[in-house]
Amino acid sequence: MLASQLMTPALELKKSLNQPITALALSEADAKALAALGADHAVFLQSAGKWVDGFAEAIFTQVSKAAASIVLIGGTLRGKTIAAYVAAKMNAGMTTDAMTLKVANGKLQATRVLYAGLAMCEEDVVLPAVATIRPRTFLAPPAAAIPGTVETVAVETDARVTLGAVSPNGDTGVDITTAGKLIAVGRGFRKKEDLKLAEDLAAVLKAELACSRGVAEDEHWLPIARYVGISGQTVKPDLYLAVGLSGQVQHMVGCRESKVIVAVNTDERAPIFEAADYGVVGDLYEVLPLLTAALRK
Amino acid sequence: MPKCLVCYKWTLDEQDIKIKPEDLSLDASRAKGKISDFDRNAIEEAALLVEKNGGAVDALTYGTATVKQSLKDALSRGPAKVYWIADASAESADAAVTANVLAAAIRKIGPYDLILCGEGSSDMFNQQTAARLAALLGIPCLTFLQKLSGEGAVVSATRKLEDGTEEVSVTGPVVVSVLSEINKPRIPTMKQVLGASKKPNEEIKIADLGLKPEDLVPKATRSTVKGFVMQRKNVMFKESSAADNVAKLKAGLASEGLI
Amino acid sequence: MNFELTEEQQLIGQSARDFGKQYIEPIAVELDHTGEYPKALVQALAKHDFMGLLLPDDVGGAAAGFVSYVEVIEDLSRYCAAVASIVNNHTIAAYVIQQWGTADQKKEYLPSLAKGELLGGVAIYEHGPTPGVGAEALVATKQDVGYVLNGKKAFVRNAGEAGVYVVFAITDPALGAKSLTAFLVKAAAIGVTVGEKLETMGLKGCPVADLTFENVVLAETALLGTVNGGAAIASQALAVASVAEAAQTVGIGQAAVEHAAAYAKQRVQFGKPVATLQAIQTLLAEVATDCHLARLGLRNAALLIEEGKPFEVEAAMVKSFLARLGSKMLIDTCQVEGGFGYSESMPLPRMFRDIAGTNLLDAPGDFPEKLIAASIA
Repeated sequence: MLASQLMTPALELKKSLNQPITALALSEADAKALAALGADHAVFLQSAGKWVDGFAEAIFTQVSKAAASIVLIGGTLRGKTIAAYVAAKMNAGMTTDAMTLKVANGKLQATRVLYAGLAMCEEDVVLPAVATIRPRTFLAPPAAAIPGTVETVAVETDARVTLGAVSPNGDTGVDITTAGKLIAVGRGFRKKEDLKLAEDLAAVLKAELACSRGVAEDEHWLPIARYVGISGQTVKPDLYLAVGLSGQVQHMVGCRESKVIVAVNTDERAPIFEAADYGVVGDLYEVLPLLTAALRK
Repeated sequence: MPKCLVCYKWTLDEQDIKIKPEDLSLDASRAKGKISDFDRNAIEEAALLVEKNGGAVDALTYGTATVKQSLKDALSRGPAKVYWIADASAESADAAVTANVLAAAIRKIGPYDLILCGEGSSDMFNQQTAARLAALLGIPCLTFLQKLSGEGAVVSATRKLEDGTEEVSVTGPVVVSVLSEINKPRIPTMKQVLGASKKPNEEIKIADLGLKPEDLVPKATRSTVKGFVMQRKNVMFKESSAADNVAKLKAGLASEGLI
Repeated sequence: MNFELTEEQQLIGQSARDFGKQYIEPIAVELDHTGEYPKALVQALAKHDFMGLLLPDDVGGAAAGFVSYVEVIEDLSRYCAAVASIVNNHTIAAYVIQQWGTADQKKEYLPSLAKGELLGGVAIYEHGPTPGVGAEALVATKQDVGYVLNGKKAFVRNAGEAGVYVVFAITDPALGAKSLTAFLVKAAAIGVTVGEKLETMGLKGCPVADLTFENVVLAETALLGTVNGGAAIASQALAVASVAEAAQTVGIGQAAVEHAAAYAKQRVQFGKPVATLQAIQTLLAEVATDCHLARLGLRNAALLIEEGKPFEVEAAMVKSFLARLGSKMLIDTCQVEGGFGYSESMPLPRMFRDIAGTNLLDAPGDFPEKLIAASIA
């Protein structure tokens, strides 16, 4: 659960501000889990309403009640929507997708990405402040010595929005962010069947497959959960092997903290080579089978 | 047909921004302005709605003096009129200030049934404007849309989220933010570009918006902006024999302790 | 004085580049290989109002102005100069009709030319030593009602695809070129035959062929301008066309130098990108400079045309400058790209062949240097 990960920075900020942590959840189980991780007070917001975004006003009410100095919300698309709404109601500043957080000079200081990955900056937000944090920026903390209290509050959700059909992606169970080694495939592959070359290599390396935006969203060769990039997954494996992938900034921002980056591409001028520790200039159709065979020995 | 307003930001083209190698600071001196990429999708979506349902769409922008360079560009893409606010406050404005200004302007020139934004600006990508506007204007918001339609008073949309899609609809005024995949912005034809100068634009002065001084003070301020440069080994294997390259790569992987 | 394009002109240029990237770039290589007239692309050009750029809006044109026009031609040429050639030859034909046509002629041809439904072409050259001299010279013999055309025109661009040609013929062999007269001839007219398409070195996709006229009967209403007044029309048309062709040359050169620069930054030899070598820097600098200066010169000439001021000398200067340096731009950029760039799967070889073509094209009247010298001495 993303909110569990948020408990780690929350516990740090609690030390700086010496203020209690209130956790808000949309299920009783989640509320209990957060209390167990160190939230002083966990609140289960109970409503008949099903639309998650519809809880924004109720969340704001709880935030006001708790007189929170800092509000942390998971940086999913819904989370960011709710966070910005709450920030506006609080008349507060908000930092989106903070990578680090601390309190300095009475402000919330965060680092984040700008210009589609071209730059990084520090952002200072006066308190009270809102921050969203992307999944896997932090790891969940260990269980707290003493769990916090849990409360159930009945709330209303936004009745103005009618929720219609919900279609889940249906590719559950794929989490490339935990893989130690990833082979990322790009459009250098000519057809879906050719991905087998990457799968064979992945089997030998004990790696997972990842891909570029085009492979997932345009070609639909792999599920969206495998797509690495600015609006996809962010990964930090030990090995990121990019095959037939040009390496544009929007992709690289999702994998640039990998320990070792390797690239295979026919185009010597592809940007991926600037971002790689090791690069092979060659045809992936030739290189991959040779590499698979070499690693089997 | 809903009365539409599309909000856009005039940003620097990040492709023109260079990283100074001495101190990794950003050099934007040669950067040209552009309508933020996702806002172009918002403008296009509004234009498509008008083409389908009739009516007209207005555009609204808040920026520094350079925002005047955006007017013809915006008008060549479909809107019938553009409202603009050019003020020094935009230089340091954060999402809170931006929303305050836009909301005040909308209260002045509106009401609008449908307010469109891009999912985020191509420079800062705060992704806050749409939801903030909704909160300030007291209307619902539907964000991250891959599909949008407006039939009469009902706005229906498909949101694309990490775990799947959901269909939502609202009767009455609403703010939406659109994804880049919702449409492909048209290339303005020559006539559309030349016709832009015949369309009206109206300046709104910040002083006329009834804002308090603190509404224009940013809550979030940026410092230490540094270009991100990949520091990698850049070892290249370019032998004519793929087998040779593979052998060298294998050795490299072994030296890294990966195999 | 302002050296920058107006906002509008910049937006026009941006649209042209976006169009080029989306519609032209994907077919440029194929077009060069097959040389087949890109019909669908021309339709797309028409849809984006690129076929009526200089025509007034009351006939459905974009009324863009000549500076905007050369900006478009340069931008399209970055992606494929052959496509720009199609547009330019068509536009000059329409321009001539706009400048010298009667109200009826304008009404008959301009609206469909503006929409790109009708393609235009201009037939000036002949195989003989000068137009009007030699066995195949195109002669327009006066009849009771109208004229009869006999003879041949050479190197007619857009030949075979054009629906109407502006044709220059002499009315009196005794007077020769002094009796040059302009006519509007429909491609469908009886007696007009399009010869075999020429296999040109470059600019493939813009068709070039001879036109043969065998007893082609023209009504009085086909006369464009005045009898024996064709030389002035031809001269003006060529001068205007040459400024646009200079834009083609600059567009190709610009695309080439950008490609070569990107290549030089990536290509590592002796441990460093070749872009750090002085020899390479010199080559890139010279080409970039030549493009920049030529662009300023041609924009100046274009502005003079737009303002209705005398421009022939300025146009001649640009022509003369590029005649000397146009092909050099591609020789130099090919040098930068070395062995890699020599492959036909790279863009420079095509551009090399294309720029040889844009440089050959229409010069204003006499040799440019003659005109320039006459203006100062």
